[in-house]
Amino acid sequence: MNQYPMTVSFTLNGEKRTFATAPGENLLDLLRRSGLRGTKFGCGQGTCGACTVLLDGRAVNACLLFVGQVEGREVCTIESVGSFDKSSEIQQELIDGSAVQCGYCIPGIVMSATALMKAETKYDDEIVREYMDGNICRCTGYEKIWGALRRVLDRREASLAKVEGSGSKS
Amino acid sequence: MGNDPKNFKQVNHSVTKVDARQLALGKDSYVADFAPANALVVKMLWSPHPHARIVSLDVSEAEKMPGVKAVLWHGNVPRIAHCTAGQGFPEPSPYDTFMFDTKVRFVGDRVAAVAAESAEQAEAAVAAIKVEYELLKPVLSIDEAMAPDAPIIHDEPEAHVPIPIPYDPKTNLVARVACEAGDFEKGMKEADFAFDDTYETPYAQACPIEPYTSLAQLDSSGRIVITTSTQVPFHCRRIVARTLDVPVQKVRVIKPRIGGGFGCKQEVLLEDVVAMFALRTGRPVLWQFTREETFRTGRTRHPMRVRIRAGVKKDGTITALGMDCWNNTGAYGGHGLTVVSCSGSKVLPLYRCENIHFDGKVLYTNLPVGGAYRGFGATQAFFAMESTIEQMAEAIGMDPMEFRQKNHIKSGEGSPIFAALGEGKEGVPMTVGSNALAECIVKGAEEVGWKNRTDWRSKSGRYRRGIGMACLMQGSSIPHIDMGGAWIKINDDASFNLMFGATDIGTGADTVLAQIAAEELATTVDKIIVYASDTDLTPFDVGAYASSTTYLSGEAVRKAAAEAKRQLLASGAEMLNLPVETLHCEDSAVQNADGSKKVSYADIAAYTLYQKNQYQIFGTASHITEKSPPPFAAHFAEIEVDTWTGFIRVLNYISTIDCGTAINPALCEGQTEGGTLNGISYALTEEYIFRNGRMTNPSFADYHIYSMRDRPPIKAILVPSYEETGPFGAKSVSEICINGPAPVFANAIYNATGARIREFPFTPERVLNAIKAVKREA
Amino acid sequence: MKLCEFIRPTSLSEARDKLRELGPQGMALAGGTALHFLQDQTTRRAVDITRLGLSFIRKEGDFYVVGATTPLADIQRYRAPDWTLHEVCRRIATHQVRNISTIGGNICRVFPWADLPVVLLALDARMVVFSDKEEEIVSDEFFDGQPTQRFADGSLLTAVKVPLLRAHQGFGVVKVSRNSAAFSLVTMAVSLELDGEVIKTVRVAAGGAVPFPRRLPTVEAALVGREAKSEVFREAATKADSDVSWRGRESLSPDYVRQLAEVSLHDALERAVSFARARNA
Repeated sequence: MNQYPMTVSFTLNGEKRTFATAPGENLLDLLRRSGLRGTKFGCGQGTCGACTVLLDGRAVNACLLFVGQVEGREVCTIESVGSFDKSSEIQQELIDGSAVQCGYCIPGIVMSATALMKAETKYDDEIVREYMDGNICRCTGYEKIWGALRRVLDRREASLAKVEGSGSKS
Repeated sequence: MGNDPKNFKQVNHSVTKVDARQLALGKDSYVADFAPANALVVKMLWSPHPHARIVSLDVSEAEKMPGVKAVLWHGNVPRIAHCTAGQGFPEPSPYDTFMFDTKVRFVGDRVAAVAAESAEQAEAAVAAIKVEYELLKPVLSIDEAMAPDAPIIHDEPEAHVPIPIPYDPKTNLVARVACEAGDFEKGMKEADFAFDDTYETPYAQACPIEPYTSLAQLDSSGRIVITTSTQVPFHCRRIVARTLDVPVQKVRVIKPRIGGGFGCKQEVLLEDVVAMFALRTGRPVLWQFTREETFRTGRTRHPMRVRIRAGVKKDGTITALGMDCWNNTGAYGGHGLTVVSCSGSKVLPLYRCENIHFDGKVLYTNLPVGGAYRGFGATQAFFAMESTIEQMAEAIGMDPMEFRQKNHIKSGEGSPIFAALGEGKEGVPMTVGSNALAECIVKGAEEVGWKNRTDWRSKSGRYRRGIGMACLMQGSSIPHIDMGGAWIKINDDASFNLMFGATDIGTGADTVLAQIAAEELATTVDKIIVYASDTDLTPFDVGAYASSTTYLSGEAVRKAAAEAKRQLLASGAEMLNLPVETLHCEDSAVQNADGSKKVSYADIAAYTLYQKNQYQIFGTASHITEKSPPPFAAHFAEIEVDTWTGFIRVLNYISTIDCGTAINPALCEGQTEGGTLNGISYALTEEYIFRNGRMTNPSFADYHIYSMRDRPPIKAILVPSYEETGPFGAKSVSEICINGPAPVFANAIYNATGARIREFPFTPERVLNAIKAVKREA
Repeated sequence: MKLCEFIRPTSLSEARDKLRELGPQGMALAGGTALHFLQDQTTRRAVDITRLGLSFIRKEGDFYVVGATTPLADIQRYRAPDWTLHEVCRRIATHQVRNISTIGGNICRVFPWADLPVVLLALDARMVVFSDKEEEIVSDEFFDGQPTQRFADGSLLTAVKVPLLRAHQGFGVVKVSRNSAAFSLVTMAVSLELDGEVIKTVRVAAGGAVPFPRRLPTVEAALVGREAKSEVFREAATKADSDVSWRGRESLSPDYVRQLAEVSLHDALERAVSFARARNA
C-alpha cells in the first residue's frame, strides 16, 4: 500500500517542488518529514500558532491545511526568513530584546510578524494585536515580544512615511 | 571588587540568551526535531473511565495490524511500583504507579500502548484493542475521598512510601504534615477580630507550547538513549531504570532545548514507554502527546481547599495564623506531600506571628493527577492568606498596604515554620537575609496609584474600578536535599566548555550559568560553550524545580569556575615567574596588580595543553545549600468590573520582585512578566470543566490562555537586594510571580464592588453572583 | 473525518457535477478549518471549491455581494461606506484562521457558536445557491434549520448578498467570549431603522449559547414603535427568554447566560442606535 498516493506541486521557500502526499496529510506533517522542522507542532487544531507558515504571503496554520489545498500556491517557512549569517530584522529584535524564552512559539511569531509587515503600512497597536492573536506564548507574557515587534514596526512605519513624504515632494 | 554589583562585568547585565538565535531561526532544537525518519510512533489507549478494573484485555488483533511493531500492556511488562514524580531520592511521594496496571484510576490513565510505523497505523491498532472493564465507583472530590465508606483508589499491596511519613491508602490519604508554633488557640482568644474562612483553588495545566515528547533509541552498544522534554534528566534516568528493571548504567538521558515546562515536565510520563519499546523493537521510538493528552494525562496544578483561621488585635498585631489544607492529588500521589508542605512553608513565614498552626492533608481522587507547577503550593495558599490579610486590615480600619508593611517579615528575622516544615522531613532553621519587600511595596504602590484608591462603598454605575494588592515570598532551592554539579575546562583559544546537570527549560538558565562562570573567570559569556543535562556527559543536578537553578546550580558553577581560575592563576604565575598571591584575573588574562605583567588565557591554554608541565585546566564543584532564601514580591493591579455581566478587565498590573542580584535583568523581567500573565489567566479564565470525572475542554479552543490580543499591560519592576549566600548575590525569580494575580484580583474585586470571592477562576458568573449578594446584604 | 481523495475542479459546474456524483461521500472543501470539530470517522472525498473565482467583495445595486469562499480576513479588511461585516469578522478565531476560513464555510454548516449567521439574520442577507441555476434564499429561510441539508444534492453556495443600509438604519453586534479567540458565549446582532427617536423597524438575532442561531421576534415586537433608549432596551431584552432557550456554556449556568444575553442585547441595541445616529448626523 502506497502511503503517499497523490502528488502536489507548490512553491516552497522560492523553489518549485513536487511532493508525494496523502489526501489527508496536513502541511505541517509534510514540511517536517521533508526536513523543514522549524515549523512546530503545538496543538494540531489551529489554536496555538507554533506551525504558522505563509501561504501566498499570509499567515496560516500549517496543521489545518491539507497539502492538496496548497497546490500551485506559494509556501514560505521559517527556514526562508533568516540564517546564522543574516537574521531578519524581526528575528534580530527578538534576540536582542530577550524575547526568546523557550523559543517554541518564536518561529510562528516571526512568520506572523513577517506577514504583518508585508501586508500593512500602518501598524497601530490594534492592527498588531489582530495579526498576532493566533500565536500563543506561555513563557514571556508577551511584553518583550511586543517591545521587539513595536521597535521593528515603528522603524518601518517611519521609513515608509519618509518614502511617501519624499515621493509627494518630487 | 568581586561582590560589589557596580563592578560586575558579566552578571547583572542583560546579555543575549545563548540559544536565542538558533531558536529564532527554527534550527533543530527540540526532541521531535531529532527523531530519525525511521522512528516508530507511539499511541496509547487511555482509560475512558475514572475508576475501573480491567477484567480482560486482548491485544492480539492489534498486534497483527499493518505497521504495528509492538504492543505493551500489563500482561507483558514488569510490574514495578514506582513514582513518576522527579524528586530527590528516596522520594517523599508514594510508589503507587506501574508501567501498566490492571486498574485504571482516572480518565487518561494508561491501558495499553502501540508502536507502529505511522501514527495512523498506531491509532488504528489502538482502536482494535479490546478491553472489558468492571466499573468502580469513582471518587470525584476531596469530600468523597474522605467519606467513611469511600472507595479505595489504591488497593494494590505494593503501594508504599519509601520514607517514613504518614501514608494510608485505605482512607485515600496520600500524606499528612502538621506543625504548631506558640499556642494557636491562645492566640485566637487574644484577638480582637477572628477570621475563619475557607478558600478553594482550581485545577490548571501548565500548557507548555511543546507538548510532552520523548524519543528513545538503542546506541550501537545496546544502551538506551532517551532524548526527552524533561526538567529532571537525572531523576528520569533513575526512574526509567527502576521501572524497566535495568541498571542505571544502561540508560542515558539527554535533554535538548525544551519548549516550556513550568513544572509539568518534572515528571516521567513517557520515557519508560519509549524506552521499553526501543528495547523490544530495536527501533527508534517517538512519542509526542497531543494537546488533549497534555491536558488529560499531563500533570496539573493540585486543586486545594484552604481554611484560614486567624486573629488580629486592633493595633494590627496578628495574634494567630492557622492554615488547614486539603490537597487533591488526583489518581497518583507524586508531589502531593511536598506541594502541601510548601503551602505552609512558603506562605506562613511572610507575616510575623507567634502562634501558628498548620495541618496539610493530601488525598487521592479519581481526577487528573496533580504535579509540580510553578508556585508549587504557595500559589494555592497565598490566595487564602492574602485575602485574609486584606480582611484583617479592613476589620481594624487600617490601610491594607500599611497593615502589610507593619507585619511582614524583615531581614534578620526568622520563622518557626522554616525549621518545622521541610519537604518530606523537617525543615532547616533560617533567618531571612536579603529582603527588599518594603521597597517593592513602595514602588508598586506608587506605580499603581494606590494613594488614589477609594472605598468600594463610594463607587456606583455599571463599570466600577478597583485596586488590589498582595505580598508574596517563595524559596530558592531545597536546603540539604538539592544538589547541583558543574565542571569547566579550557580550550586552546581560551574558550571554556561549561558542563552542568542543571536543566534549562526555556528559562535562560544556560545563559545565566554562563554569565556566572564568565564573571568568576573574568572572561566573557561568548567564550563559554554550554553543554548541559546529559546524564553521560555532565555532572549530576536535581533538575529545574524549586526555584533552584540560579541559586544552587549557579553556586556550583561559580565554585567550578573558581577552581579553574585557581589553576589559571597557578599556571600564569609559573609562566610569569611571579608569586601567585600578587596576581589576579582580569579581561581573560592573569596579571599583576598594575597590569604591567600579564599573560592571556589563550597563552596559558597553549602552555598547559602543549608546552610544559602539561595538564587540563579543569574545575569541578558540587553545591548543596544551607538556606532557601526567599525572593519577595509585591503585586498590584487596577481592574474594571462590569457589574451587569461580572466580566473583569485588567487595566494595569504591576509585578515587583526582589530576586537579589538579577544575574540577567532582562531574563528576570521576562520570567516575572511570563509568570504573572500565567497567573492572570489562571485567576480569570483557565478552568478544568468536568463531567463524571472527564475533563470536557482539553484544547486551547476551550481552555482559555491569553494571546497577545488578550494580554493586559504588565509592568515588571526588579528591586535589587544582595543575597550573601547566593552566587553574586542572586536568589530565585521564576516561581513567585505566578502567585500574585488570584489574591490581587480577589482584593481588587472587593475594592471595586464589596464582593469577597473565595473561589477562582473569577468567572463572570461567580463575580456577578457575588455582586448581587452584596446588594442583598446592603 | 478522513480524506481518501482530493479533487480540484476548475469550474462551478464541474464542482457541482463532482459533488452530485460522489453523493454523501463527497464534501465541498473551502478553508476546512472547522473540520477538526467534526468527530465522525467516515472517509470522505474532498472537492476543493476555493479555485472557482468565488473570492470577492463588490457592490452591486442595493447589495454588497461577498463571494462564498472569501476569507474572513478579507471581509475584516474591506472598507466601504456602511460596510458592517468587518466588525464581527475581526472577532472570529485567530488571524491565521481568518486567513483561511471563509464566509461560506461559516454559514453552510452552522455550529451553535457561529457568529456570521447571527449577523446575516439581523442584516436580512440573501444567500445565492447554485444548483442547476442560481437561486436567492433569504436569511430567515436559509437559517431555518441546518443549511447542510440544502447542499446534499451537490448545490453550492456562491455568494452572500448583504443589503445596503437605508438612511436612518443602524447596525450593532456584540460578541461575548472568555478571550479574543474563544467561541462565543453570546452573540447578539441588531439592525434597526429610526424614525426620529422611535424605532421604526428592527431585526434582532441571537447566537452563542443557543441550540441554533435565530431571530428574536418577541424582542423585535417589544421594540417597534418604542423610543430608542436604554430602559426600553433592557425591558425588551427580558423578552428574549420567550424566543430562545439559553444553554449553559463552559462552566456557566443557563441562568447566567440568560442574564449575559440580556445585557449583550441591550449593548447591541445601543450600538445600533449610535450607528444610525452617527450616519445621519
